[in-house]
Amino acid sequence: MYSGLLAAPPTVATYSYLLDWYLFFGVGAAVVVISMLAVFMIRYRDRGERTPMPKHKTEGWKIVLITVLISVTILSAAEYQTFAAFGNIEIPSSALCLQQTGSPCVQVCVQAFQWGWNYTYPVNGMTCAESYNHGLYSGAPGNLTVPAGRDIVLNLTSTDVFHSMGITMLDEKEDAIPGRVNQMWFEVPSVQVTASPDVLKVVCNPGLTACTYVDAIRCFELCGVGHATMLANLTVVTQASWNAWTGGQSA
Amino acid sequence: MYTTNHKDVGLLYFFTSCYFGIVGAVLALLMRVQLSVPNNNFLNAFYYNQAVTMHGLIMIFWFLSPIAIGLANYFVPLQIGAKDLAFPRLNALSYWLYLAGGVLAVSSFFVPGGSASAGWTTYQPLAVLTAGSGPTLTYLGLVLLAVSITLGSVNFLTTIIWLRGPGVTLSKVPMFTWFFLFTIIAMLYAFPTIIAAFVLASTDRILGTVFFTTQAIQPSILWDNLFWFFGHPEVYIVLLPAFGIIANVIPQFTGRPLAARNAILVATALVVIPLSFGVWMHHMFLTGIPVALQGAFSIATIAISIPFDVITLAFVESLIRGRVKFATPMLFSLGGVVLFIIGGITGVFLSSPVLDRVFRGSYFVVSHFHYVMVGAAIFGIIAGIYYWLPRMTGHMYNEKLGQLHFVISFIGFNILYFPMNLLYDMPRRIFTYQNVGNWAMLNGIASIGAFIFAGAQILLAWNVLHTWFRGPQAPPNPWGSPDLEWTSHAEGMSPAANTSSPAPAGGWIGQLSSAPAAAAASAEATPYAAGEHAHLSSRPLQLSVGIMLFLAGAATWPGITALGLLVVGGLVVIYAFWEWAKDDMHGRFTMPDEAEGERWPFGGVPKLKLGMWVFLSSEVVLFGSFLGALIFIRAASPNWPPAGSIHDIPLGTVNTLVLVTSGLTMFLAIQAIRQGDQRRLLGWLGTTFALGSVFMGIKVSEWITLGTNHFVLTNPTYSLAASAYYIIVGLHGAHVTAGLIFMIYLMKKTSSGFYTKENHEAIENFGLYWAFVDIVWCFVFPLFYLL
Ligand code: HEM
Ligand SMILES: [Cu+2]
Ligand SMILES: [Cu+2]
Repeated sequence: MYSGLLAAPPTVATYSYLLDWYLFFGVGAAVVVISMLAVFMIRYRDRGERTPMPKHKTEGWKIVLITVLISVTILSAAEYQTFAAFGNIEIPSSALCLQQTGSPCVQVCVQAFQWGWNYTYPVNGMTCAESYNHGLYSGAPGNLTVPAGRDIVLNLTSTDVFHSMGITMLDEKEDAIPGRVNQMWFEVPSVQVTASPDVLKVVCNPGLTACTYVDAIRCFELCGVGHATMLANLTVVTQASWNAWTGGQSA
Repeated sequence: MYTTNHKDVGLLYFFTSCYFGIVGAVLALLMRVQLSVPNNNFLNAFYYNQAVTMHGLIMIFWFLSPIAIGLANYFVPLQIGAKDLAFPRLNALSYWLYLAGGVLAVSSFFVPGGSASAGWTTYQPLAVLTAGSGPTLTYLGLVLLAVSITLGSVNFLTTIIWLRGPGVTLSKVPMFTWFFLFTIIAMLYAFPTIIAAFVLASTDRILGTVFFTTQAIQPSILWDNLFWFFGHPEVYIVLLPAFGIIANVIPQFTGRPLAARNAILVATALVVIPLSFGVWMHHMFLTGIPVALQGAFSIATIAISIPFDVITLAFVESLIRGRVKFATPMLFSLGGVVLFIIGGITGVFLSSPVLDRVFRGSYFVVSHFHYVMVGAAIFGIIAGIYYWLPRMTGHMYNEKLGQLHFVISFIGFNILYFPMNLLYDMPRRIFTYQNVGNWAMLNGIASIGAFIFAGAQILLAWNVLHTWFRGPQAPPNPWGSPDLEWTSHAEGMSPAANTSSPAPAGGWIGQLSSAPAAAAASAEATPYAAGEHAHLSSRPLQLSVGIMLFLAGAATWPGITALGLLVVGGLVVIYAFWEWAKDDMHGRFTMPDEAEGERWPFGGVPKLKLGMWVFLSSEVVLFGSFLGALIFIRAASPNWPPAGSIHDIPLGTVNTLVLVTSGLTMFLAIQAIRQGDQRRLLGWLGTTFALGSVFMGIKVSEWITLGTNHFVLTNPTYSLAASAYYIIVGLHGAHVTAGLIFMIYLMKKTSSGFYTKENHEAIENFGLYWAFVDIVWCFVFPLFYLL
């Protein structure tokens, strides 16, 4: 996957690696500080002593300095990991995709609306704006259909209000905003990915050339009364079925 | 009802916000019932969306901030040894505007179509596209609230800077007052932006402007920038008073001073407050902003968490070698710190733009902000309630019950919000779900926690009310605190003779006048007993009611009831202003005199002038927000009418000169009275007034021409440009008109010989205002006419 200098979309592994770092630091810091609090609280509890209190230095600049140093170190280490993953969230433009990833990306135009998603698969290098008025492939209606093992770029927009498309089985999300096109990219490694808890169910055809992940796509921004039910399915097909389906018109 | 006493107003705030808190809690419980099992149909989407929206708005705007303001009203003057706030009537006005806004918001549940339902974040364009007058009522209510808060901040800032009693130097100011000072500074510059945002949204809904309905300019992005520029400071506004309470409480129960007090203050003043205005895009990581910008805002966000690390560690360190007593206020403070640690750390997770692809819009975010806003903020506030209850009521609360309250709250809280961390793949604000993964179980647990947590608050309510009416007499200074609010009370009048505030006037709630320990109460009350009626003013209430009716009319427009409301509301407003002015002319309202106290570093500036400067600095942000929005729109708009094609440049230039000249004549007016020349003052004021009127006259003629030339909202070619022009220029015009009206008042007072060489503060302050209005025009004019 991380083949040399080529750009690649983030994967579930990208996120879980990063999350582990944050969990390590975060849980660590929480445990240390809360334990300190607990220990001091008990150690210095009032036992009804009558002796006068010892005098206190109030300005602990030293401890402040130490706190700042430790925080800066931990936070920079975490931030460093985030920046390291930036390479994965920067999406090559469609013209440069081949050059930057080693293979052409599959472009899909997604229009969010109240309450659902429209998919258009541009042919012969058309832009999304040009494709919206042209014919679509006759895919399974309502399903976002993508080939396995390819870099997929979704070009998201909205025809009415602010939506946000989340494909939680891939840990991917991006806002779909009227008047603007945002991109999100990903790769599904194989037709049948290991069962993910985020989808309602997985339905595969007998030859395992296509699997449909029911309710894999959800809307993550309140968009009106249909928000909760703005669900959609993701269908992953083999490269061969994809070629057959698109008649070779897509990249 | 007519009180302007800070303690009364404080209690009014306190009880009113508790009431709104209960409303918000009921909405929350309704949602938790709905979500307790999958595929539930207790609430449908229509009601659920209203509940989720109004819950957020009410809790944040009508409960959390106001309850802190209530405590601050009561205790900030006491802590700094001031008799009252700097501007008592303004304070009462703040309260009534807050209540009026709340009434508008809550009333929106009862109109057809229901209340606002686009989330507390009011994302556009959904929010302006939702039909009905309910959302408009809510948004206008919010504008009123924001105005109330802005006025309140001016008041508090002036108070804390200018009204400190003798000996209360900055280094002696207690932590609660310090943190409240930070809060109001953030309020002062954050709330104008929300006013601008909601004014634009409301005019879209009422007048048909097209700020958020023109897809081409990406209105969602415009809104996000406006809202979150306000929104991030707002989360600190909610948090900081609670931190102040915690910082005030902890040393009281450890017996040792707070660790690193100065470091805490410096970190908050120099890092938290300024930087809080520079992290807003962390709420927009997935809106398609460039990766470099995501990185920059991510770094800013973790940078702002460093001062919080310092503060938290200082709290922890403050226990070392102390003698920790686990009284209820202390328990809630320490509990609040623990919950803040958890919430702060989940915040750091969210600061990663990459991880945000996982967490955005999910229950993880919900958990994060409840840990900080409920865990840290509300726990801190509750600590304050227990801590000060003996001071407010003269009675002691039931300690055992308080501790029980804490234990159940803390456990219930975690049962409620911790599972939400694990629901990071579940979208927030969905009214129902199918059982995916372990969603059903986690939601079920959270709902149980919700009832435990809410149930625990009944103990609080009972404890407070019981203490109030039946509690045993409290010692005058039960915690042995060195702070003025306790010591001046305990020692009667002695060292702090002029530092205790007057007793509540009239006692709207029966217990008040009898509540404080008898000796102290009479000591406090005597000096003012005679002049008590002078402390009452009905104008703030009248004004607020008038504005409320007017806005209710605007929201429900068009229709005969709406027209009625507009007219009646307008008349009440005019009446209230008129009478307010008459009160002033006849000196009917007097304020307790202020002793010369500590005023560093603004000792040389008169009180009103300081207030005016503070207010104008906030106005800068208001106009800045509008102009910022304008620039955004211009940059995004594909076909803006070119300069000169719409507006008459020569006429505009002449008009600009007229206004600038009026600034000059105003200056001459001030010079005149500085030399004590009343006749010259009147002359120059008159000239200024005439020039101002000419300016407005030309404005009106321009608007008529524009209207006849189809430069109107309904003309699709110009709708956006017209929206921006009429609203922003209109806002400026309103400022000019307000100035003109005030000038009439000044001229009247001048001709009755009121102003003298020594006493002409009002003229100077008006001069500042007028100069400000001129300067604003110097920005507005080129943006609309020349560019
Ligand atoms: C260490 C300090 C903090 C950091 C690093 C932090 C970071 C963040 C980030 C990055 C988000 C955006 C999440 C998203 O929408 O995807 C967020 C949301 C939020 N935070 Fe914090 N935060 C911190 C402290 C606080 C505090 C102290 C409060 C309030 C008292 C707070 C209240 C909120 C609220 C209300 C939201 C959600 C707004 C919404 O979408 O409705 N945060 N925080
Ligand atoms: Cu949605
Ligand atoms: Cu924020």
